[in-house]
Amino acid sequence: MPIQYPPLEPLRTSFRLRFLTDEQLDSLQQATLQILEKTGVRFPSQQALTIFAEHGAQVDWTSKIVRMKPDFVLKALSTIPRYFLLGARQPTYDLQLEDGVTYFTTDGCGVETVDFDTRQRRPSCKADVATMARISDYLPSIGFIWPMVSAQDHGETAPLHEIEAAWNNSVKHVQSETVMGAIPCRYAVEMAEVIAGSRAEMRRRPPFSLVVCTIAPLVQDTAGIEGALLLAEAGLPVGFLAMPTLGTTAPATLAGAFAMGDAEIISAAVLMQLHAPGAPVFHSLMQAWVDPRTGGYISYSLDSRTRYAPVEMAHHWGMASLGACYGTDAHEPGTWQGAGEVALDPFLAGLAGADIVTGMGLSETYTLLYPEQVIMDDDLYQRARYQLMNLDVNQDTLALDTVHAVGPGGHYLGQRHTRNHLRESLVRGITHQLGEDGKYRDPRQVAIEKVDWIRKNHQPEPLETEKQSELKRILTAADKEICKG
Amino acid sequence: MTSETPSLQPIVPAYHAQILEDAQLDTLQSATLEILEQVGIHCPSEKALKIYAEHSAVVDFTHQLVKLPRHVVLEAMSHAPRFYTMGARLPSFDLNLDGKTMYCATDGCGVETIDFVTRQRRRSNKDDVAAMARVSDYLSALSFYWPIVSAQDFPATAPLHELDASFNNTVKHVQSETIMGDWTANYAVEMADVVAGSEQVRRARPPLSLLVCTIAPLAQDRDGLESALRFAQAGLPVGFMSMVNIASTGPATISGALVTGDAEIVSALVLMQMAYPGAPVFHSLLPGSMQPHTGAYLSSSLEGSQLYPIGVELAHRWGVPTLAGIFGTDAQVPGWQSAAEAESSLLLCALTGAETGSGLGLVESCTLLYPESILLDADVYHRVRIESSHLDTSSEALALGVIKEVGPRGHFLAHKHTRTHLRQRQFSNLTGQPHPGGGFRDPQDVAREKIDWILANHHPTSLDEVQKAELTQILAAADREAGSKTTR
Repeated sequence: MPIQYPPLEPLRTSFRLRFLTDEQLDSLQQATLQILEKTGVRFPSQQALTIFAEHGAQVDWTSKIVRMKPDFVLKALSTIPRYFLLGARQPTYDLQLEDGVTYFTTDGCGVETVDFDTRQRRPSCKADVATMARISDYLPSIGFIWPMVSAQDHGETAPLHEIEAAWNNSVKHVQSETVMGAIPCRYAVEMAEVIAGSRAEMRRRPPFSLVVCTIAPLVQDTAGIEGALLLAEAGLPVGFLAMPTLGTTAPATLAGAFAMGDAEIISAAVLMQLHAPGAPVFHSLMQAWVDPRTGGYISYSLDSRTRYAPVEMAHHWGMASLGACYGTDAHEPGTWQGAGEVALDPFLAGLAGADIVTGMGLSETYTLLYPEQVIMDDDLYQRARYQLMNLDVNQDTLALDTVHAVGPGGHYLGQRHTRNHLRESLVRGITHQLGEDGKYRDPRQVAIEKVDWIRKNHQPEPLETEKQSELKRILTAADKEICKG
Repeated sequence: MTSETPSLQPIVPAYHAQILEDAQLDTLQSATLEILEQVGIHCPSEKALKIYAEHSAVVDFTHQLVKLPRHVVLEAMSHAPRFYTMGARLPSFDLNLDGKTMYCATDGCGVETIDFVTRQRRRSNKDDVAAMARVSDYLSALSFYWPIVSAQDFPATAPLHELDASFNNTVKHVQSETIMGDWTANYAVEMADVVAGSEQVRRARPPLSLLVCTIAPLAQDRDGLESALRFAQAGLPVGFMSMVNIASTGPATISGALVTGDAEIVSALVLMQMAYPGAPVFHSLLPGSMQPHTGAYLSSSLEGSQLYPIGVELAHRWGVPTLAGIFGTDAQVPGWQSAAEAESSLLLCALTGAETGSGLGLVESCTLLYPESILLDADVYHRVRIESSHLDTSSEALALGVIKEVGPRGHFLAHKHTRTHLRQRQFSNLTGQPHPGGGFRDPQDVAREKIDWILANHHPTSLDEVQKAELTQILAAADREAGSKTTR
């Protein structure tokens, strides 16, 4: 049976909101350069330190702190491509990054799942990754796949099993946020080559990319950095995500946290360009807050101002940006908090011009998967998508002849113009689905049923049998090498 | 014991957005003018028809139809002030509509209440109006008060009792959306005089304003127009709201519905300016969508949240301030849907420069009061308020010295800079509230408790005894007149 794929529906807009002035962006950039020059960033990787030293950075081999002068940073960054392509299994789902278009993905990497059938909370597993990849494959709002939860039934090679589950259940681009270290990354590159068909095609239309988290304040992760170097060498896009927490791992002021997180990202981006000039690298900064009473991590304070300023900071460096949406601190979908914290997100991400954006589908601060959450977040996404569209103001939509025909005090129900346009006049989300009693149904229940429907009805185009076997072979080898190691 | 009313926290956006291009706004405005000139507006008020006729409109007295040539419209609208002040009982709560600040109010006028104590659903009454005025007085998100529900225990003079309950329980500006008809408006103006203290103050710092709904498509309400004329005569601000419904009382296309509603509003604003040039007026365009299966009115749809901000841009195109539609969820209970529908529309209204907006506190398409809803909406309001304010990138905020001191692998907890600035960070007082047994409390439970706390503890500066007595006298006279009208 032919598989019906809805086309992707990225955010497309001609609107743009500037959060920061050019002067503010310059100040932030100068601050970052100052941090990189005077304070430095710790790189606990012999390989990274050697690359820096060979290119003239100031390396303290004892503390493993690297300091770099502004000219050095700017020269290295000059080779970063502002726009690049994220390839997909199916070319129609390739994502060409460009101005005015924003592609979204799910959140990751959760560790617990509310079971699809029993509704019991349990540790996440590979089958969850597969199911959610299939659901994401169906949703037009999702441009690319993040494995949403951890394949905890596969121990140390979980990240590789996650990407296998993703490729077997979606034709879209896959981005991992968990593959760490040179050895796992070598296997991931092998898998990407299988999907692409050849190393050259993998470079041209990379079906895989990676996000690596920095460690605030001002530290890189050994495995993260070394894995990223391997991907950059292979031409696969790699991004660095700083998550400074105001008050603990970052200054308690937003600008300070932004500058510090930016320094972490830029230092890693510089390293990638020194090692593989021209490698596609993206920038991602997601600040959070400490709850002063508990020390707890808060994704959304009341003051989440300029949440999308980091998108502008990325663009100011000439880099693509991975924006942050959703990721509510709420414990359950369908609650007031679950929308109150995040409802502005997709709209603002679109207005700020983020290139790619993560975050749909998890609760409890990116850790818990309720399957219906992705449908509820999709509804917020669609609201934003419509808000960011241009309004048609033309002779047909103004309908002056119809207004004349109806006149004062009439109604429009019997008009041909109404019949022609009625179907498009109300775009229904999950909030306006009628029940048998004539009342609107509970949106969460509608979302739960939609998940069930997709699971039952959507079968993505399968990966060719030989490629499936190849991926299995690579996984077996990885299981042997890594688990044994 | 009297408690102080917290200072207002209006939205002062650091950013501005324009949704429609100037050429699109010109096209919409031209279409409105064409409708006013060629289709006309039904106006079932002899008084209004005469004013139109005296000012060069084309009036068909038989069909009560008014057609307004383009130049007549533009001439009349040229008198409407772009900026003015809406006064409050206490001057520090006056609202200066300056085009830079957005002030928000409650929703109205609901007809049912989830009882504050029993939590049973029942008809609304005057006590509800009073209680919610007191809650609104306490909340910094609310800059003025719409009587949020109907005082249905006073059927004939409910709108006046709503004003009485409001003036007695908040020091903030009061805007009625229910006063209809010349005689009711006379009493309302008298009440405003009592609160203001003199005619001069009433005109300079009007403590009361009025919102009148038009009837889509292209019709005015007699009582609405006549009460508006009385308010305009008294120098009290008056606005007109169109709630044209896409595909039933308006064309099935957004642009068509916008211009139909705009024509209704502008025809009424023109009337006010013809009768009382320079009268403070405002424009309010809140199109809804028809549910195709049931014909019901929906205030929100996936694409609907763009409509209210476009209404803001149209108002400004006519050179008058706006009352924007905000909140007003179709959800049946406070929760995910009510927050999902509200936020981006409020932000866009603020970014497009709305001066005022109404809509906090009701669910079920502006009809049902859940007391805690207003606190949930206020939390959303503050998120948007802060989101639209600027980022501090001063050297103190960049904290480079602090970052250098802490360095890689350190932490910022012990630093003086952290102690100073962490206090300035703003956290929700509904979310993230620790539960005594671990975890966090349900924000809706926290909101319900906070409502109880406000009602137990907040008692705003009251009217003086003479003013109270005078308001009671006016109400008694109005009740008598209403009784005699009913008897007749």
